[in-house]
Amino acid sequence: MQRMSYLESFGKWSTGLLLAGPLIVLALVVHLFGGEVLQRILTVLFINLSMVLGLQIFMGNSGVVSFAPIGFMGIGAYASALFSMSPQAKAMALRNLYSWLVPIQVPFVVAVIIGGLMAALVAALVGYPLMRLSGAAAVIATFALLIIVHTVLINWSEVTNGPRTLFGLEAYTTLWVSAATGILFLLLALWFKETPLGLQLRASREDEAAAASVGINIVWVRWVAFVLAAFVTGVAGALWAHFITSFSPLAFYLPQTFLIISMAIIGGSASVSGAVVGAVAVTAIFEGVRGVENAINISAVFPFTVSGLTEVCLSIAMILILIMRPSGILGSRELRL
Amino acid sequence: MLSVEDVHAGYGAIIALRGVSLHVNTGELVALVGANGAGKSTLMATIAGVLRPFRGQITFEGRSLLGLSPEEIVRQGIALVPEGRRIFPSLTVAENLRLGAATRRDPAGVQRDIEEMCTRFPILGKRFHQPGGTLSGGEQQQLAIARALMSRPRLLMMDEPSLGLSPILVDEVFAMITQLHASGVTVLLVEQNVERTLDIADRVYLLNTGRVECEGTPEQLRQQVDIVGAYLGDTQERS
Amino acid sequence: MNVLQEVLQFIINALSLGGLYALMALGLVIVYGILRLVNFAYGELVMVAGYTLLMLGAGPIPWLIVAVISVGMAVLTSLLLERVAFRPVRQASATTMLITSFAVSALLQNAAILFVSPRAKAVVTPSFFTENFQVGNLLISKGNLASLVVSLLLLGLLTLFLRRTLLGIALRAAADDFVMTRLVGIRANQVIATAFAISGFLAGVVALFWIGRLGSVGPFVGSTPVLVAFVAAVVGGMESLTGAVIGGYLLGTLTVGLQLVLPQSLLDYRQAFVFAIVLLVLLFRPQGLVRGRAVTERV
Ligand SMILES: Nc1ncnc2c1ncn2[C@@H]1O[C@H](COP(=O)(O)OP(=O)(O)OP(=O)(O)O)[C@@H](O)[C@H]1O
Ligand SMILES: [Mg+2]
Repeated sequence: MQRMSYLESFGKWSTGLLLAGPLIVLALVVHLFGGEVLQRILTVLFINLSMVLGLQIFMGNSGVVSFAPIGFMGIGAYASALFSMSPQAKAMALRNLYSWLVPIQVPFVVAVIIGGLMAALVAALVGYPLMRLSGAAAVIATFALLIIVHTVLINWSEVTNGPRTLFGLEAYTTLWVSAATGILFLLLALWFKETPLGLQLRASREDEAAAASVGINIVWVRWVAFVLAAFVTGVAGALWAHFITSFSPLAFYLPQTFLIISMAIIGGSASVSGAVVGAVAVTAIFEGVRGVENAINISAVFPFTVSGLTEVCLSIAMILILIMRPSGILGSRELRL
Repeated sequence: MLSVEDVHAGYGAIIALRGVSLHVNTGELVALVGANGAGKSTLMATIAGVLRPFRGQITFEGRSLLGLSPEEIVRQGIALVPEGRRIFPSLTVAENLRLGAATRRDPAGVQRDIEEMCTRFPILGKRFHQPGGTLSGGEQQQLAIARALMSRPRLLMMDEPSLGLSPILVDEVFAMITQLHASGVTVLLVEQNVERTLDIADRVYLLNTGRVECEGTPEQLRQQVDIVGAYLGDTQERS
Repeated sequence: MNVLQEVLQFIINALSLGGLYALMALGLVIVYGILRLVNFAYGELVMVAGYTLLMLGAGPIPWLIVAVISVGMAVLTSLLLERVAFRPVRQASATTMLITSFAVSALLQNAAILFVSPRAKAVVTPSFFTENFQVGNLLISKGNLASLVVSLLLLGLLTLFLRRTLLGIALRAAADDFVMTRLVGIRANQVIATAFAISGFLAGVVALFWIGRLGSVGPFVGSTPVLVAFVAAVVGGMESLTGAVIGGYLLGTLTVGLQLVLPQSLLDYRQAFVFAIVLLVLLFRPQGLVRGRAVTERV
């Protein structure tokens, strides 16, 4: 009995090793031997990974599709920027900023955590009533939430510089920052799945009525996951902001939503392994095809610039997966030893 | 006319039929009885093409029904009065009846049959332009039967047509089944009302947990009354 | 202008925009009712019709014929998508279907970016759309009047189709109980194809007026129509065709009304307001303002 549970728990932790190990090795190799381009791609990969893990924590465990994450990413990005930028930079880039916010500046790590917390706070406030919904209603509701956040970001020029680009962030997000965060969230997602709450959430995914009948408070468990996921996504947004260093609200809308959802779908959102595989595969396709796209444009084979090819390939891949393996490459299985 | 051989079927991992064989000859009224969960409705759904059997063979007038879609099976001349009525609630009574005749190509005949249904079930005439969902349970049951008859089936399958009807209406339904049968329609009937079913059936199958427990004429079944009693319990008294 | 004129102007504008919105919502709901598919790619049908207008509009073909061809292209695209993308996932969960439609939408938008241009292009529209005519002191836009009339006409025709023809009745029946509809002998594929064809047709007609108003077409021209359709459908009730129409007219009136009432500073938040209303409706009246199957509970 005792041995069984040892084996059992080792089996579970082996998933973490199997997933994190190769990623760490990859990061090491790229750090030592890779050029700047590869390092940047890998940094993006780990940010994407954090985003997908956020999606996995909520959508993967609850089975409820959410279109809201990119909104939380945007909140994390702007909130962290407001706290990490120097007063001088703010005076340059954010002319309409509330005056009491101008002098505040905190270390990067604190700013990132504030970004995550702000996203979680918004999720906590608006999320509770939404957790009653599932299926199409949930999709449209979270979609509405995304649009509301987007509209506010575009128009709240006191905080976001309106629809214009916000610039002047420091590039704090190195490969190691983003890799460490990605791995941390990977372990968090694995742990969350196995907590009593995670188990209850997964039970509600399989059969809502049955879960409710054994006393699971579905709204509550979904809400906890929603808020946790928003925190993860908000942190990812903060890291992204300090990687890209200038961005506008347009960065947080449907194209990015599509990208993240495609990762979850292609890999299989029901498992953490699926999220990792999806993030790696989609980032690889994305960067690969974009490389081709850039090469075509630079060599000027065509008299016009090629764009959209990447997304076309990605959406075709996604449709094929949905038709042939609707639960993704890995489905609900975790990689195990 | 209809023959079912060694059919296994179910829902995903749940196996509801474990090798059922039965046949219905032209002009017969065959009854299917059994306790709740025995698999009666599952068998009906499988014949109608809603479920695909894992194994076995189903033929109707010599042709295999396997692999045919429900809409094709209706065109072979089989109509189903499903469990739970399943009339179209947002459609009027008239539209429900008209859809029942969806496979027919004789508008005049369809019109005549609609009128005939309204004389046979006067309540349908009265509620003619009312949405089906506003009918009472018993009225909906009548509509479900009428809708099935509208396709002029050669084999009529009825799943608990008397369920939820008042005693007078139960009498009517049984009278109607007898009459339909007399007019040459072949009937496969699932009923919980065992006594009355035995009164009108030519042959009876007793289904138990996915298998045919015994079959025979009503008399033969009555003689094995202990078996029947064991499986059907108090439902015998329920009428 | 006196008050009466302003009221008349308001009514015409509201009915004309509301009519378009109602058609958009109907095109979405008619498919949702049967397949439980929230079709994100609906907006791209508008886009396809728009690009057809763009390509053929500059040529020698009379506009009316170009318009007919454009609507036809939207219908064909809708049918093609059903066959290629949605039919294979029909047995899968509603979520899978929805995400498939999201992917299809992204595919079509980016195909437009790739093969046409990321930027919007001006479309030659008949001067008709920008002309006004005068009744007394009232200035009426011909385009608005046309969309008002055409939407009412189409709503009437659609109602006739849904009530009088066997296929139309079957369409409504399939929204009630799809399996039972097959059990009375209606061919599943035929009903579904009809729903997609109608959806494409409505998107095509909407495109004529929508792009007539905008004067240009780009990869994202369908975004607003599909959002409008979502909102109107949710507000009216996803399950009810009547609800979709009512939702469309409500939203049209609200949009025209907010334009008049809201101060400029809040006008930019209009979209946020509208979607906040959607959230509230979903939370407090998930079945919409018009209940689809008020009476099914009896069964
Ligand atoms: N949709 C379904 N999904 C899963 N299992 C089902 C489904 N429908 C029926 N079953 C199971 O299949 C078995 C047979 O059910 P069926 O409905 O055929 O019984 P029945 O003989 O018609 O019973 P009743 O007299 O109560 O109508 C039961 O164990 C039931 O639980
Ligand atoms: Mg039954």
